[in-house]
Amino acid sequence: MGSANKGTSAARKARIEEMRRAEQARERRNRILVIAASVVVVAGLVVGGVYVVKSQDSNSDTAASDSKTSGHFVTGTDGVKTWKGTLTRNHVTKTVHYPTEPPVGGDHNQVWMNCNGDVYTKALNNMNAVHSLEHGAVWVTYTSKAKKADVDALAAKVKKTPYTLMSLDDKQKNPIMLTAWAHQRTVTSASDPNVDKFFEAYVQGKQTPEPGAACTGGLAQ
Amino acid sequence: MRNVGLIAGAAAAVLVAAGAITYAVAEDGGSSASTPSAGSADAGFARDMAVHHQQAVEMSYIVRDRTKNEEVRRLAYDIAQTQANQRGMLLGWLDLWGLPKVSADPPMTWMGMGDMASGKDGSLMPGMATNTELKKLGTLSGKQAEVFYLQLMTDHHKGGIHMAEGCVAKCGVDVEKNLAQGMVDAQKSEIDLMADMLKERGAKARS
Repeated sequence: MGSANKGTSAARKARIEEMRRAEQARERRNRILVIAASVVVVAGLVVGGVYVVKSQDSNSDTAASDSKTSGHFVTGTDGVKTWKGTLTRNHVTKTVHYPTEPPVGGDHNQVWMNCNGDVYTKALNNMNAVHSLEHGAVWVTYTSKAKKADVDALAAKVKKTPYTLMSLDDKQKNPIMLTAWAHQRTVTSASDPNVDKFFEAYVQGKQTPEPGAACTGGLAQ
Repeated sequence: MRNVGLIAGAAAAVLVAAGAITYAVAEDGGSSASTPSAGSADAGFARDMAVHHQQAVEMSYIVRDRTKNEEVRRLAYDIAQTQANQRGMLLGWLDLWGLPKVSADPPMTWMGMGDMASGKDGSLMPGMATNTELKKLGTLSGKQAEVFYLQLMTDHHKGGIHMAEGCVAKCGVDVEKNLAQGMVDAQKSEIDLMADMLKERGAKARS
């Protein structure tokens, strides 16, 4: 570099000036990159934080139980309908009119229907069955339109599965329905893979308002 | 350049914080390497023994309503309390692991014995009484109820010990393995106690 070249001082100045400009440009670029990255990270944190807070909010919504049962179903991509709103949990003796058939929760009779794999041939008092849902049971219901083969297969499955119960319900819309506290779905047959999925998710599942409560020692038909 | 360093440092700190928060938030949904799978012995034992225990609890409540004998009522109280608590531990672990309480596979598949029990009339696993037997227990009273309870519970313990030994051999979670070993020891000693109690009543175990 410092060879015999005797470039004018002006040329050298110009070259130094150019190098400084390049250096400044590089610094600016770096700074912009770092700032952009920081903005992305912070934005991600804010969005994530809002999501977390929101999801916790919706959790506490379903747990609130100071007023009357109200709300509506939201159908998930898996076909399970989830009750959005309040489901009260008082023990009452008067008749409760539930907004859905079969009911998915709400006030109920103080005696639960036995749900230790119990299969009932007659329709149940909904107020007893709702108490079983509170204890973490899955309730299989069918109408007279359901095929006998399906009813038999489902009965066999229920009998082998503690914390399930099954009964006739001619007031419901579809031939075979599965219900847990705040959750419900229709299945097409006993061999519909959604039966196993629903059992796995909801037999003593996360939705259970009273985990550990019994499915024996209640009411039998 | 110092500015860039500062900003980079801040960005790194933010990243670390983000990681920590994500970790903390994901605590209950995250699957760490030590979480058993649904098909594992740990999960299978927790599922199946919870069901097996439940019947022992139920049976003990029935006999307490059917006899005034202090000794049998105390044994039944002990079994109901113990097994209800142990059942809670097993179900709680499944909750912690985020695993279902039921399986489409037959009971005890996890210990290679999915074909062990007929599953008929409520006897879902070896040693479990049938619904008919439970109903019968509820109709007997006094010494007859005591003898039948002791016989049913002896069979129940034998099946339970066999299954608990399966977990002792195959479970990977130490605290669960220890509970299983505790069940084996306690139930073996209760079988001896019940043999004596049966003898005092001029009876013996069914098998």
